[in-house]
Amino acid sequence: MTELLTGLSQEVVSGIALGCIYALVALGFTLIYRATEVVNFAQGELMMVGAYVNFFLVSRISANLGITGAWMYFIAFMGALLFAIIFGIILDLVINRPLRDQPVFSVIMATISISIILRALVAMIAGPFTHIQSSPFGDGVVSFNKIAISVQDVFIIFCAIVLVILFYIFFRKSRWGVAMQATSADPTAAQLMGIPVKKVYRLVWIFATLVATVGGILLAPKTLLDTNIGFIGLKAFPAAVLGGFGSVPGAIFGGVILGIIETISAGTLSYHFAWIKEINDVIPWLVLIAVLMVKPDGIFGIAKVKKV
Amino acid sequence: MKLKMSLVGITITLLLVGCAKKELTPGVTDTEILIGNIQDLSGPMKELGYLLPAGANLYFQYINDQGGIYGRKIRMLVEDHQYNPQKAVAAAKKLIEKDQVFCLYQVIGTSTSEAIIPILEEYKIPLVAPATQSGTMSRPLRRYIFQTDTGYDKQMNVLIDYILRQDKNARIGLIYQDDNYGANALKGAAEAEARHKITLQKESYQRGASDFSGQVGNLMKGGATHVIIAGIVREPIIIMKTAAAMGYRPQFLGLSPTMDHRVAIAAGPAGEGYIAANFAPLWNSDAPGPVLYRKLHDKYADPKTLPLGMYSYYGFATATVLVEALKNAGKDLTRASFLQALNSLDYKGGSFPDFKWTRTNHGSSGKVVLVQVKNGKQVEISDWLD
Repeated sequence: MTELLTGLSQEVVSGIALGCIYALVALGFTLIYRATEVVNFAQGELMMVGAYVNFFLVSRISANLGITGAWMYFIAFMGALLFAIIFGIILDLVINRPLRDQPVFSVIMATISISIILRALVAMIAGPFTHIQSSPFGDGVVSFNKIAISVQDVFIIFCAIVLVILFYIFFRKSRWGVAMQATSADPTAAQLMGIPVKKVYRLVWIFATLVATVGGILLAPKTLLDTNIGFIGLKAFPAAVLGGFGSVPGAIFGGVILGIIETISAGTLSYHFAWIKEINDVIPWLVLIAVLMVKPDGIFGIAKVKKV
Repeated sequence: MKLKMSLVGITITLLLVGCAKKELTPGVTDTEILIGNIQDLSGPMKELGYLLPAGANLYFQYINDQGGIYGRKIRMLVEDHQYNPQKAVAAAKKLIEKDQVFCLYQVIGTSTSEAIIPILEEYKIPLVAPATQSGTMSRPLRRYIFQTDTGYDKQMNVLIDYILRQDKNARIGLIYQDDNYGANALKGAAEAEARHKITLQKESYQRGASDFSGQVGNLMKGGATHVIIAGIVREPIIIMKTAAAMGYRPQFLGLSPTMDHRVAIAAGPAGEGYIAANFAPLWNSDAPGPVLYRKLHDKYADPKTLPLGMYSYYGFATATVLVEALKNAGKDLTRASFLQALNSLDYKGGSFPDFKWTRTNHGSSGKVVLVQVKNGKQVEISDWLD
């Protein structure tokens, strides 16, 4: 029994760390969707670009400036965030501005194109190689009661929580947050009320690239760095839907739930029921369908009523 | 009249000879042999899509610099299938119909190579050295496919035999990718299970997974002393790190795709002692193939754009096999003479363990050598095992 509990707790802890990565991508989906009602299918690729920029900076800083250790990671991290801000502004100019009055569908298609272009562009610039991204935390492990978690994972969970709290407060309390919500509800009315809608949109894209960059920097040392790590967006999407598309706490909740389901179904469930192995990859989707049947707007979603 | 008739006869004969001369073998001229390669240039395996042809070109350039094969230089066209079987079919048709290549070579991937089998049969065009170690490429016999690599199923058998020789009470676990790669590994596992009357503890994962704590936890619970990983590069890294974090230290082993130097680097101390099966000599070993490979790399390649390593070595090694078969086909190169040369190739070139292709066997030597990570470096630790 204790063995079962230890196993399950280990899987829950690992699942939370995995889920927080999904959550960071899901948060990017949420931010853009909240303000513009656009689903940004390039969110995973934004994460990939952020991870590459960070990798490039880490290797340049150590090679050209001779700085190593914590400072190297810190400077590279800051550099990557600065890049993310510029990148967000560019994306706003390239995708959002020209397509602002077009149907939402066109913007979504544009984000899909951007995802393909970014993958190809990064592969062209950085070469086809898969890279190893070192972690500032090395291979450090924290363990208690036979349950182990790497320091990298602890940091991932910490970052996800901090970001979610920050955005939650931002949307609830700050003027800009409220302006974003108003823009999402009715852009024309918001503009008439004096909200600088263009600036709001730009801010949203900057936030989305920032969140993605942080996610990419955190994910890269866990796996290897190549241009396909953005495909994690395909798993973050059901996470965002599960939590309630457009809800900030929903994004992290959905991500973590899916992460835990993934580790438990591959672990304890498969161990005791061999047939679970056969359906491992559909389990998250089964859970998603089950939740949507009960709560069509997701767990934290608010039913939107559109007057016609 | 008689003269007229014989003149007409001569004219017709000349015409026929002319036509026959025009009916040349596709892809072969007096100065060139054109071969077609289908790689993944922009999909999940684009790194290999770059390295394999680059390695092969080292050897082609070497042969071309010596004047080619009977005066014909080798030129290779590379198409992109993005690891997608439908695109592989389209690329194969383009290479055969439009570019008129002489033969196909090194098509990468199991499902993609399997997808073009009907085309190979339709056009009666050989595929030499498909870049997959799936046993399905040569068992059952494929008339037009000639495989240089030892299959995953065979590799599993060798690894399990090796483990049980080291420790006859070993409890063996297997983590496999749930696709046709894993299926071929499972086939080998089932053969070994029947032979040794044992049962492996099997755990699966989906391609692209980045967390293995469930699978590793299960193997720990099951008490596996040896764990075989049928993964690619990042899976063994994450699995071994996860196990080390949990305080679980079985002997880890893996199939040939995990024999990447980055496993040793990225897994760090957790990856020390990792054993992988390899179907060719290690690229940095003293076997004749690797020695020539490094020499040609020195001569033709820029280490910045083409680093030394297992994948470009693999491209190089398969090129030596292709060239030997082309040479054996003789001066009058046709698809028939080439097929005959392939069907009787007795390879002793040193880039692969020696093997023989016959009309009934297009498979490899069936041998592997074990490569272990020692002090962060890969070294061969066994003879050729089969």
